[in-house]
Amino acid sequence: MSTPIKRVVVVGNGIAGLTAADSLRESGFDGELTIVGDEPHAAYSRPALSKALLLDGDDVSSHELPPATHGADEILGVRASGLDVERRLVRLDDGAALPYDRLVIASGSRARRLSDLPEELTLRGLDDALSLRGRLAARPSVVVVGGGPLGMEIASGCLAAGCEVTLVSEGLPMTARLGPYLAGVFVRAALDRGLTIVESGAARLERHGGGARVVLNDGAVVEADLLVSAAGDVPNTEWLADTDLATEGGLRVDARGLVRPEIAAAGDVAAFPSPGGARRVPLWSSAIEQAKVAAAALVRGDETPPLRFQPYFWTEQFGLNLKAVGDLPVHGAPAYVEGGPGGPALMRWSHADGSGVAVALDYRIPIPRLRRLSRAGA
Amino acid sequence: MKIVVNRPRCEGHGLCEEAAPQLMHLDDDGELVLDREEIGEADIPLANAAVRVCPVAALRVE
Ligand SMILES: Cc1cc2nc3c(=O)[nH]c(=O)nc-3n(C[C@H](O)[C@H](O)[C@H](O)COP(=O)(O)OP(=O)(O)OC[C@H]3O[C@@H](n4cnc5c(N)ncnc54)[C@H](O)[C@@H]3O)c2cc1C
Ligand code: SF4
Repeated sequence: MSTPIKRVVVVGNGIAGLTAADSLRESGFDGELTIVGDEPHAAYSRPALSKALLLDGDDVSSHELPPATHGADEILGVRASGLDVERRLVRLDDGAALPYDRLVIASGSRARRLSDLPEELTLRGLDDALSLRGRLAARPSVVVVGGGPLGMEIASGCLAAGCEVTLVSEGLPMTARLGPYLAGVFVRAALDRGLTIVESGAARLERHGGGARVVLNDGAVVEADLLVSAAGDVPNTEWLADTDLATEGGLRVDARGLVRPEIAAAGDVAAFPSPGGARRVPLWSSAIEQAKVAAAALVRGDETPPLRFQPYFWTEQFGLNLKAVGDLPVHGAPAYVEGGPGGPALMRWSHADGSGVAVALDYRIPIPRLRRLSRAGA
Repeated sequence: MKIVVNRPRCEGHGLCEEAAPQLMHLDDDGELVLDREEIGEADIPLANAAVRVCPVAALRVE
């Protein structure tokens, strides 16, 4: 691959696309750079949508990122609709086609819906968040389907807005992500603040009268003015249907984020190699780390050090603030490094394979220190 | 150019420190400390990288 790189196209204007564009420049690429994004907005922080943006009174800026400095042509509000790998062309839904020498696929993922009902709201994009915020002003009753971090953050935001909130969860909320010990902490905080939790097997949504309602696996129903689901995400790979690149679990990349020598993928859309097989890690810092490596690999190839990724996860809900480094969920009780049960604490778990997980609960700590703690004593 | 921290908004994630350890760090209490507030042209890409990774948009370069 010694031909000079003249044109790079980035599909997706989320944090992965933005970071890839920045990193391409840092790696010395000074040619023509084009970013295509189907949202009409400049790149923004998605994690803020279910946190400060739902809560902050009049402040609707917590999601804003500083203006981009990569000097790319940004084609926003336009979707990439197809890829021709042989001819190196990205087709756009406005009929245009963009030629490239290198391509970054950063089309992210979208909310997994449980129905086609228009009453089912999801929270993935800025428009979803602003619309949900607007609806909460009238203090509707709310049912949230999904007991993962996103469902719980939404429930927390709706409660804080003064709504009556029911959360429908498969198993105890937060257990799948965090493990039973930490999930217990969050569930207690949620119950204390007045959340109603309903455990059910797979729930479904159905039309009822003029609206929609939730049907639990035992046949019981939950109705509310507002129905929000948070049932995971699906990688945006449909526009790659004419290629053989995408698999069901996303777009497989190698340890440097490459799909082919001239095509990289990063962020929520990408499944990268890990000890347990190829997997997507749809998290903020994962998208950033992947995008840096992938962009460098497009320019420099095998010289680029492969991705060495240690998951970083955080959540804010029901007045609790958690930061975790390492592979979640964790099982059993932690070793308390600082503090103790029921208060601010710094905790550590060890997995059977010797790797560690460090968790700060309502405890301010620099992430580099949390990373060191996760490795200590392993 | 100057780096500005919106203190109430900063959650102490420290992702900025990981991006630009030359410009900032979190102290033992998890408070963000700017080691250099005034920055020159040469440091702008680094400062921008730090600003960009902050998921709560608590940093600005102005
Ligand atoms: C509400 C919410 C809260 C979250 N909270 C946290 C959190 O607390 N911590 C954490 O670590 N992570 C959190 N995440 C996950 C995190 O935000 C994502 O991992 C991250 O934003 C992924 O970035 P990305 O650039 O890969 O994808 P995205 O941000 O999804 O960006 C992809 C972009 O590409 C666009 N696109 C898709 N298809 C096309 C196409 N064919 N043509 C053109 N453009 C296209 C999409 O519209 C989108 O704008 C949260 C996510 C959500 C939705
Ligand atoms: S990344 Fe943002 S929130 Fe985290 S310490 Fe830096 S400024 Fe604060």
